Amino acid sequence: MSPELASLLRILAAVGLMLMNGVILIYMLRRVLGRLHQRLGPVHVGPQGLLQTPMDVLKLLTKEDITPTNVDKALYFIAPAAVFTPSLMAYAAIPFSPTWMVTDLDTGLLYTLVVMSLVSMGLLMAGWASANKWSLIGGMRSVGQHIAYEIPLLLSVLPVVMYVGTLNLSSIVEAQSGTWLGILPQWFITNPLFWPAFIIFIVSALIKVNQTPFDMSEAESELVAGFATEYSSMKFGLFFLSEFSNSFIVSALAVTLFFGGWTLPFVPDEVLAPIAPVVFMLKVYVGIFVLMWIRGTLPRVRMDHLMQFAWKILIPAVLTWILVFGFIIKLFDLGRPVG
Amino acid sequence: MRPDVTAVDRALTSFGSKYSVCDAQVGIIVACDQSDALPILQALRDSELDFAMLLDLFGRDVDGKIEITYHLRSYSRDQELYVRCHLDHDGDLHSVWTVYPSALMPERETAELYGLTLSDHPNPKRLLTTDGVPPLLRKSVPIRTVEEVRSR
Amino acid sequence: MTEPHFTVTESGLMTPEGMYIPGEPPKGIRRIPKGVDRLGTEHLIVNMGPQHPSTHGVLHLIVELDGEEVVTVEVSIGFLHRGIEKLAESRRFDHLGTLMDRGDYVSVIHGEQAVALAVEKLMEIEVPAKAAWIRTLTAELTRLASHLVWFGTFGLDTGAMGQFLYAMRDREVLLDILEEISGQRMMFNYVRPGGVVADLPTGIESRILSFCDTFEVYLEEHDALLGGNEIFQARVKGIGVVSKETALAFGLTGANLRASGLGFDVRRDRPYDAYPELEFDIPIGTIGDSWDRYTVRMEEMRQSLRMIRQLVGGMPGGPFTAKVPKVLRPPAGEVYASVESSRGETGIHLFTDGGTTPYRMHYRAASLFTCQLFEEILPGHLFADACMLLGSFDIMLGEVDR
Repeated sequence: MSPELASLLRILAAVGLMLMNGVILIYMLRRVLGRLHQRLGPVHVGPQGLLQTPMDVLKLLTKEDITPTNVDKALYFIAPAAVFTPSLMAYAAIPFSPTWMVTDLDTGLLYTLVVMSLVSMGLLMAGWASANKWSLIGGMRSVGQHIAYEIPLLLSVLPVVMYVGTLNLSSIVEAQSGTWLGILPQWFITNPLFWPAFIIFIVSALIKVNQTPFDMSEAESELVAGFATEYSSMKFGLFFLSEFSNSFIVSALAVTLFFGGWTLPFVPDEVLAPIAPVVFMLKVYVGIFVLMWIRGTLPRVRMDHLMQFAWKILIPAVLTWILVFGFIIKLFDLGRPVG
Repeated sequence: MRPDVTAVDRALTSFGSKYSVCDAQVGIIVACDQSDALPILQALRDSELDFAMLLDLFGRDVDGKIEITYHLRSYSRDQELYVRCHLDHDGDLHSVWTVYPSALMPERETAELYGLTLSDHPNPKRLLTTDGVPPLLRKSVPIRTVEEVRSR
Repeated sequence: MTEPHFTVTESGLMTPEGMYIPGEPPKGIRRIPKGVDRLGTEHLIVNMGPQHPSTHGVLHLIVELDGEEVVTVEVSIGFLHRGIEKLAESRRFDHLGTLMDRGDYVSVIHGEQAVALAVEKLMEIEVPAKAAWIRTLTAELTRLASHLVWFGTFGLDTGAMGQFLYAMRDREVLLDILEEISGQRMMFNYVRPGGVVADLPTGIESRILSFCDTFEVYLEEHDALLGGNEIFQARVKGIGVVSKETALAFGLTGANLRASGLGFDVRRDRPYDAYPELEFDIPIGTIGDSWDRYTVRMEEMRQSLRMIRQLVGGMPGGPFTAKVPKVLRPPAGEVYASVESSRGETGIHLFTDGGTTPYRMHYRAASLFTCQLFEEILPGHLFADACMLLGSFDIMLGEVDR
């Protein structure tokens, strides 16, 4: 197989994974929220309502694509793609197993975060192009919150990078194999040194997912549907898909950085090798479940509270923590650089 | 619940014969001209009777006149009082919102539903119905038109 | 609505139409827009409603925004106007309750009760003890159901979807109980002049009591889940402060007035039906912010539970309705009767001329007065808070438009 064909197949696999993920996650969201809210969720279409989301996808695909009269046509068409493409690109560097990944980038972590940050540009485009005031407010809010939380998100992963000395995601996973004294898995989350970084990472990552308590950009009770108000049919579907794929990426990053990626403690490598992608996916889905749990429980934060929290608390905190962390690992020589 | 008639008289001494007080079935009613309503309400609010709230404002089409009733309540003395005035059809309703802001919407509603004009009001637009709807609460406007009754 | 309502001159206000209003605007009135600021930015005017998720029905707010900050608000209502007051002039006195049901369609019993009390006052009908107690019982059950809707939608306005569904779960049980009592699910049409339509069904007492037992626990859960949430507290504490003076000036009643620190409750201060015989406390807020309105309503629910227990326990025997003629013909006169509904004081001003239909029925809707306060209280708040505030005041558009 030629290398070009192989990489094409890998990209197609990523697209397939993203689409499948979207369908599964929407179903999962409905059922999880249903359970949290003591209602049923979808039950009628197919066994356990399993066919509900495929039907919804069909509906989105076959619905009339409405373009309002006053929209900025070019931007209006580009925006869904500008939101969808970065979400898709973010899959490239995620290691599903030692061998399963689209490409093994040495700067994988940086790449993923940078690509994710492009999403907000598409959201602003959508908000501006829709010629709708609700959309505009939604787009502005989304850019505001994304810019504010980009910084703590990038900085919060620095302790991990300082510890292992690489930005390569699979190397970061490998650094987490093994156990502490044969009891605890040697994931970074079991090391109290990483807890502050993890908390900051989770808070900033929640912003990326655009979900309650940080769903200001499409706050349903305030902005109708925010930037997506004027979109219909599969253009709306792309926004939706990108959002679910973001929650997958965020959860995958958290699993890779703090929960040991595909590794499992006490399991020999030969046994782990074939089931590594399954282990990874399971961990990611547990992470997504936690995101949905948060979404189903908490009220929405106010925009100015959010911004103040980012600039006045989170960024100083994460900078301080990086300094302290650097001192600690140099002082006690704790770093475990890979390779 | 009912204030003392003499106390009301005391509060309104400066108005001379511009008003009359009577003790009716529903409560103490001060009758006056609509153009005097604003100063009288202000005097009642600022007097020792302390009618701090305009609880309600409504109209009634009676005897060829539009009767406007202001329903006041004093929480400090736990008393209620009615101020009542009569206007001609298509008369001019002077707003009392500078004394009682709670009159803003009820005044618009009353003026609209009785076909009165509204003056001194910050936003004297129609409130409930669209242009062209007759003053609904007048007795001359039937509840169902002849056509509606026939087609039932 | 781009033009300001007023321009300020040396000695008064000038409306755009050239109408001159002498003197200073009353204290607390800020109807003068800030205009264009130094940056040369423009204000954004958004039409919130009539179809908007957080306007609780068909309220239409024309909001002028400076970025995220609300500058001016104009409340536009009337989308649900059905002419209840006019229709009442063609209905017999025992049919007025049906119209009132459509007024405040979430706290239904209270409207019916107000009409029934007005007619009884005119005709001097003595209501049997059991009828009064049943009315009070259903009124308190309705208050619970209505406050649950407020609680749920308030949660929804702050972005917490779960609270709405938890509240609906509990309300469903209440509606089942009320349906069994009245035969209807929402528009009960149960209270009539002279008493109620039917006696309590057998075995309903135990159902109500078991509901009270479970709901007592759930209510604390609700309060802990929403009221105990840091995010929620940060959003409601100190937001939307309505001073006692503003509340009085704008005619607020009910829980909104009590949250501002004035403890007037029709149930205690103008007692009707079985309330004089009941023991209950009236919660009072301190500064009148959204948090006070929240705590006052939550405490009202606890008091309602307490009253329901007393009502079920002490239900007297006897007939459920007084002997009233088939066609009611009150003497000519004028009467005002008010009840404490879930939104405030619901009053009925009834004029009769000796006929079988009212000469004029005026429906004092508490929500109308709450609604005009928005023009005063929303400016200066963030847009997100404006949405939350609409929820905190608990208005019902069926009552606003009538």
